[in-house]
Amino acid sequence: MSKYLGTRSVRLGLTAVATVLLVAFVLLLAYENGYGPKAFAQWTMDGIRGGSIYALVGLGFVVIHSVTGVINFAQGEFVMLGAMMCASLYGLDLPLPPVLKLAVAVIASIVTVTVVGILLERGAIYPARGASVVTLIIITIGATIAIRATALIIWGTQAKIVPAFSNLQQMDHIFRPFGLTLGAQSLWIWGTVALVLGALLYFFERTILGKALRACAVNRRAAELMGISPSRMSLLAFGLAAAVGAIGGVVFGPVIRPQYDMGLAFGLKGFVAAIMAGMVSPLGAVLGGLILGVAENVGTGVTGLYGYKDVIAFVILILILLLRPQGLIGGGERGVEES
Amino acid sequence: MKSKILAAFTAVTLVALLVAGCAAPAAEPEPTTPPPPAEATATPEPPPEPEVGTTYKIGFGPDVTGGGANLGEPQRNWAEIMRERLEESGGIMGPDGVVHEVEIIVGDSESNPDVAASLARRYVDEDEVVALIMGSVTPISLAIAEVATEAEVPYISMASSLAIISDPDTGEMRPWVFKVAQSNGDVAQWQVERLTDLGVSSVCYMYENTGYGKDCYNNSSAALTGAGMENVFEGAFERTDTEFPQVPAIEAAGCDAVVIGAIPPGAANAHLAIRTALPDIPIIHGHGVCTTDFITAGGEAVEGAEMPCSAVIIAEDIAADNPAKATWMDFKDAYEEYTGEPVSTFGGHAYDALYWVIGALETLPEGLSLAEQRAAVRDYIENNITDWPGTAGIFKLAPDDHYGLDYTSFTWFEVEGQMFVPFPQEEW
Repeated sequence: MSKYLGTRSVRLGLTAVATVLLVAFVLLLAYENGYGPKAFAQWTMDGIRGGSIYALVGLGFVVIHSVTGVINFAQGEFVMLGAMMCASLYGLDLPLPPVLKLAVAVIASIVTVTVVGILLERGAIYPARGASVVTLIIITIGATIAIRATALIIWGTQAKIVPAFSNLQQMDHIFRPFGLTLGAQSLWIWGTVALVLGALLYFFERTILGKALRACAVNRRAAELMGISPSRMSLLAFGLAAAVGAIGGVVFGPVIRPQYDMGLAFGLKGFVAAIMAGMVSPLGAVLGGLILGVAENVGTGVTGLYGYKDVIAFVILILILLLRPQGLIGGGERGVEES
Repeated sequence: MKSKILAAFTAVTLVALLVAGCAAPAAEPEPTTPPPPAEATATPEPPPEPEVGTTYKIGFGPDVTGGGANLGEPQRNWAEIMRERLEESGGIMGPDGVVHEVEIIVGDSESNPDVAASLARRYVDEDEVVALIMGSVTPISLAIAEVATEAEVPYISMASSLAIISDPDTGEMRPWVFKVAQSNGDVAQWQVERLTDLGVSSVCYMYENTGYGKDCYNNSSAALTGAGMENVFEGAFERTDTEFPQVPAIEAAGCDAVVIGAIPPGAANAHLAIRTALPDIPIIHGHGVCTTDFITAGGEAVEGAEMPCSAVIIAEDIAADNPAKATWMDFKDAYEEYTGEPVSTFGGHAYDALYWVIGALETLPEGLSLAEQRAAVRDYIENNITDWPGTAGIFKLAPDDHYGLDYTSFTWFEVEGQMFVPFPQEEW
């Protein structure tokens, strides 16, 4: 059995059959419950928005993992910090027009969270650089708990408010294309995801620094011999990942009411997105996040099992790990040099 | 050299953060001060005038963090106010003229039944409390109720479900368990009346995937069906959800009104999602949103939301002849002065529960054993809280009713101009 499962064409065939069956099942259920194409379009659109935050968190996982081999579980906390900071900075009584105040809050929170990421690397990861990757992962889990507890002390348990970017109110401007409901913030979110992905791809493919990062990922020893400092690259990766997380938190701030303990949920979903990318491909992480968001939304919407959203995410996680551990796109292992 | 300094600096900062982080949850429960020898010191030492008797301890543990945090925080605040009051008055005096200090031990149940149960056990076994006041939400309270029943300690829950005080199978009262928060059955009765008035025939129900949300749903759906309305959609959601796949389904179901059973911020998130897609549909909530957190979180979107609340949140506008007015003003003034924030009904549950216990302790003579004290407190609450004006209404407890309120304890409210405004039945 495993021999057959191993061959490429059989696997492809099985995947195709499974996909067709799944789609047929979903359509049948939708027909049973009387949901038309409009409901599907709405679910998909909402799913793409919800998936965008998974995509951004997934990007952070990928950036750090591909350079250092560490899975940084504090990634979700960067999102929380970004959103909470933006909310409390905007809430300050500054003598600025609201638009400017929001811009200042957005930029200041992204910068601050980047600094937190850098401090985390220097303070907790760098001193343990000789330790095994597992140790470093455990350190990031410890950091997660520390960051969340600090946030609890600073902000308390109350939910915070970030206004919608377009009209600076809590009730966003709503577009109604074809009878669907689309908040203006969704456009901000999608634009941001596209920008961040484009910038990261450009950075990795076209700049010397980005290439140095990738060199570190491909072969740490060789990169070191070429004069690239892996420790500096690791610092850069953490800063970058923290910034991406904070950007996610900031643009998602108006959609959620940020709370000190929201990081975990996003961290786990973002991890699934990163696994779908084989932990190495930024494009894969974004695709994975969006697919996850849509699957969750359509899946729970059609079946009516709204309380089981997480089940969908973790079933996908298990399937990917079993069937395509190298990720959805991209072929062979391009991961870290195993030592 | 430079990088070493940087490394050292960051290390110090992170360690500081870590220490601060770890200290947070651990700091809540006061380290048990050496327990004053209980009955032994009772009689000796006849100093100047009032004789000082045993110190009574109350185990207080709302859900200050986790899912019930919005409820537990105001309750913890009230416990702190109560501590100050007790310190000022120097304790309470028993019927025999003996003065007792009352110590309120404040902990955090963390919205986690396991944490709550072990905190309750510690209060009962190590701190030797005379009563437990714990649990801001239902599942936590159920866990504590079990511990309290087993240890025979009076327990007052600040959560809403009737299942906390009564055995769901037999309907009999659990002898040691009481509750101060209004039941969802009474909320459902109000909702049904309002929906009938609106001429609604089919209802969509959304609830938070928590014990409170499910209890809201069970009560309301039974009441709605009983009143001849059709419940065409039910869907649970999580507090952290950003997307609501329920909304297209609600649109497809085509109901006349939506009822939400949740607490903020989840309640505000769900409200916003529905309001965005369906600008005109009436949305009705339970009493879990009777806190300004709901309006802060929802903003303009929750304008027009309706819900039943205790009128304590607008205490100063209540007629002076209302028997509960004095209690409400006492609670509201003290709370707002202490916290600088507007009152919520949740802090009031702590007010009611603590004053029940203190009222009971004032009747205890010196020289009782701990078990006798506990039994006496239980008996007092069961038999003497009759026509007792509390923040949640006029309590009338009895051996077969460990809750003592009915639906008249609520006032119907509407969110108008970012405020809770009473919307009495005559104006519907």
